[in-house]
Amino acid sequence: MNLEDIQADEVLNARGLSCPMPLLKMKKTLKGMKKEQILEVLGTDPGSKNDIPNYCEKHNYNFLGYYDDQENFTRYYIQIQ
Amino acid sequence: MQKESGFLRQELGRGYGLVFQQAWPAWLSGIFLAILAVMLFMWWHAWGVAGGFANWGDWFYHLLGIYDSSPEKSIFLHGMSVSNIGLLVGAFASALLSRQFGVHRAPKFEYLKGLAGGALMGVGAALAAGCNVGGFYSALGMLDLGGFMMMLGLFAGAYLGLLYLLWEMENIGQGATGGQHVDKNKGTDWSKAFPYIGGFVFLLILTSFQAYSWLGHTKMGGVLFLGFLIGLVMHRGRFCFANAFREPFMTGDSTMMRGVIISLILYALGAAAMKWAYIQPPTAGIYHPFWIGSLGGGLIFGFGMLLAGGCGSGSLWRAGEGHLKLWLALAGFFLTNSPVSKFIDQSGLSEYLGQGIFIPNILTWQGGLILFILVLFGLFLLLRWNEETENFVAF
Repeated sequence: MNLEDIQADEVLNARGLSCPMPLLKMKKTLKGMKKEQILEVLGTDPGSKNDIPNYCEKHNYNFLGYYDDQENFTRYYIQIQ
Repeated sequence: MQKESGFLRQELGRGYGLVFQQAWPAWLSGIFLAILAVMLFMWWHAWGVAGGFANWGDWFYHLLGIYDSSPEKSIFLHGMSVSNIGLLVGAFASALLSRQFGVHRAPKFEYLKGLAGGALMGVGAALAAGCNVGGFYSALGMLDLGGFMMMLGLFAGAYLGLLYLLWEMENIGQGATGGQHVDKNKGTDWSKAFPYIGGFVFLLILTSFQAYSWLGHTKMGGVLFLGFLIGLVMHRGRFCFANAFREPFMTGDSTMMRGVIISLILYALGAAAMKWAYIQPPTAGIYHPFWIGSLGGGLIFGFGMLLAGGCGSGSLWRAGEGHLKLWLALAGFFLTNSPVSKFIDQSGLSEYLGQGIFIPNILTWQGGLILFILVLFGLFLLLRWNEETENFVAF
């Protein structure tokens, strides 16, 4: 799946926030979403590159991947299983 | 010859990738941290962070004219201040070498939280006679009973801090900054030069070590260098005590706390070997106020580190990585730690907070070490159980 083509159902803007706020907000947002839906998280904290995939792996969410946007932040994609 | 240089280049590239491109697991950083903490104890004395902040605060208030007398030592000759500088620079070099450095701005409200969290950490560390490093990690490494009390306080404070963050998410809206716009088609892309600048910083630290030696302060040079290595290890493993105390309540994950437990056991065994053999005095580092100071200080510190998003050491390495919020946390820390520590000393309050208790004095060396390991093993089991059941998870 090409990450750049994904149309997310919800977008969480966590740019500028540092640990633990991106993960805390992500957890809350994911809880309100339905099966098969995709969440896009926008973040700038370098720690999120470890935290988000680890969290998804341990909590049975499908982590689709991330890529660095041109504007110096990262886009993460998570799907509810 | 060309073949050999090709091999060397390939091996160096592989080594660089291993150290600076992949994140280190928490247990590996924990092991390295314990080795460095034991080395620091052998070379100088037990690792601490808050004492360095108190020194910076003393200087700050003295230069403003609020404190009459000047601090006893300059920031470049005060051991904890020097290891703090080393830690900050080590994390800075590591962030450059791994291309993770960047000036990370935050929304205004986050800056306020950084400052307030730092201020609370300063108060908590003054009460507990140390932060997460001196009051908890090194206190336990030295087998001071106060370390266990601070641990309980830190768990309780982290839980309350997490409840506050959840409340904040529901009730205080805040905008993200929108990131930093960097047009890579214009100007110079400095990130390509980052690893070279990081290498240069490393050489600078080695030179400073030598300079200290020339000036007759070899010991402080070594403290700077060991602090630098600690900063590098903590940054590469993103070794974070705030994470260790928070995650069991936030996501149930105990990976970081398990890294801390491994590190503590190694640190305590290494320090015990040195104390038992009288390489260092047995009561070295035994001054943490059991139980009121350590417990109460841990509680306030734990709440503060959740607001700030970093503890004493974590704020330092994150500041080195370029997070402006954590620079404010450092400022908040030294602004309160210095006057509150002075007040506790001068008012006689320290008598009520408690005193250091050396575990082997009560239980003998053998019994003390066995019980120490059993308590940490019990904590490990409790955290693993919580990972499975999420019984302690706040939401």
